[in-house]
Amino acid sequence: MIRRQVAIVGIGQTDYAKALPGTAWDLAIEAVTKALADAGIDPADVDGMCRFAPPFEPVSEPMLVRALGIRELSFFAESPLGGEALGAVIAHGAAAIMAGLARVVVVYRALSQSKGGRFGRADRGGPSGPAVADPAADIVVPEEDNRSFAWPYGLMSPGQLFALWARRYAGLYGLSDDDLTQALGSIAITQRRYANANPAAMMRDRKLDWETYRQARMISEPLRLFDLCLENDGACAYVITSADVARSLRDDPVYVLSATQTLSPYREPMGIYVSGELTELFPPATAERLFDEAGVTRADIDVAEFYDATSFMPLRSLESYGFVPDGQAWRYVVDQGTGPDSPLPVNTHGGHLSEAYLHGMNGVLEGVRQLRGTACNQVADAAVALVGAPAGSAVILAR
Amino acid sequence: MAIVPAFTDLTRPYWENARAGRLVTQRCDACGRSWHPPLPVCPHCHSTDLGWQEVSGSGTVYSYTVVRHATHAALADQIPYVIAIVELAEGPRLVTGITGCAPEEVRVGMPVRVYFRPVADGITLPYFEPV
Repeated sequence: MIRRQVAIVGIGQTDYAKALPGTAWDLAIEAVTKALADAGIDPADVDGMCRFAPPFEPVSEPMLVRALGIRELSFFAESPLGGEALGAVIAHGAAAIMAGLARVVVVYRALSQSKGGRFGRADRGGPSGPAVADPAADIVVPEEDNRSFAWPYGLMSPGQLFALWARRYAGLYGLSDDDLTQALGSIAITQRRYANANPAAMMRDRKLDWETYRQARMISEPLRLFDLCLENDGACAYVITSADVARSLRDDPVYVLSATQTLSPYREPMGIYVSGELTELFPPATAERLFDEAGVTRADIDVAEFYDATSFMPLRSLESYGFVPDGQAWRYVVDQGTGPDSPLPVNTHGGHLSEAYLHGMNGVLEGVRQLRGTACNQVADAAVALVGAPAGSAVILAR
Repeated sequence: MAIVPAFTDLTRPYWENARAGRLVTQRCDACGRSWHPPLPVCPHCHSTDLGWQEVSGSGTVYSYTVVRHATHAALADQIPYVIAIVELAEGPRLVTGITGCAPEEVRVGMPVRVYFRPVADGITLPYFEPV
């Protein structure tokens, strides 16, 4: 069990923008350097690194080790499945520290969608895909992860996949189109309000009202423009170390209580063939493990940062992680909301919809700020935070 | 330009059957169970004694999305199009497309039936349309 044996002692981020001058490498160096400065740790003393596996993360460990003057990494690990690396990278870093394989572990994620491909465009297979040699040639889709059974039908981007989830949810629980619009819009508009108070958010100066939300064009029904995340450049990093080292570095370390990763059959990235209910994105036992190992209950969670490539994901995560019964979150987010005065404030930085898209890493940084008491939309006396991805990779943090 | 599946030893029978107008799923000859997409081994009994069975081609819409924004240049002239997950009468689910009705008319639970649509030289994709 991780429970308070390791802590996050430093966080760092770059500016977030549709296009930044630096490469992903430049951005990663900036975020990691800031995180180490925040922790009061000399880069030379880093001995562990965890990152999102390629093709998602373009900056390799050797690129950073040389650039930062790190003497030697004794542990480095990569976590696959995109946003589902969110909790896994922390689990790996914690395990390495607890096993004595490393003392100071850096976790980073850098994105340059302006220079590489974009998640919302399939032409290059995502931000790290190769440039297309002959745009007129047939595209032969590899079998890997069942893509050859999905792409030929035009199912090529995450937003389309999440539209299938959202539509299934609406069909399963009998929501009208308007019910679903109300629920998704509530999340999108609430997160935009958080972002309007967050100077780091890309949407800090852009208000979003109901009329604008409703009139936005459909991208992949039932998801509208404002139900989908931003596409941007930027990087995030944080530093994990043992609880003892953490306390020697600062008065306000943020402890890791538990971290989960999970994989069960039919969860390939476009894993929609699942023989059970599609909207059950991970086994319920995973959420129980997350809370049991943390030694806290749902009622102890003061703030949640849910991975939101689309607005549907925080909605469903309220159910998957056990805060709201299955099939009721659509009503809950309309009646109770996810704002500052709601029972559980969600995505208090604005999330991927309105702060920036950093593959869940900016949610971890926001969780740390909430527990340090330094967030822009500070939840009063926040002591325990959950940061979770839609398919069960999550972390519970505490001050 | 078309978006076409790679043929591998594992997937070729599926696509060759589709080209011949048959919808098939992989089946374990040892335990009799069936699934989709294909696997190198039966996920239930781990037998490698695997074959293919023709299915009825009848199913229901399990979920769908009407795509109104092309994510790839190859799809720009198809907008709007419907991606669906269809649950076959025999159980397995497929990713497919729905045609034969207005996108607005597609519903979760709608009965549909397979048809075969050539999309490129030697490539035929199973699509579905309302019954």
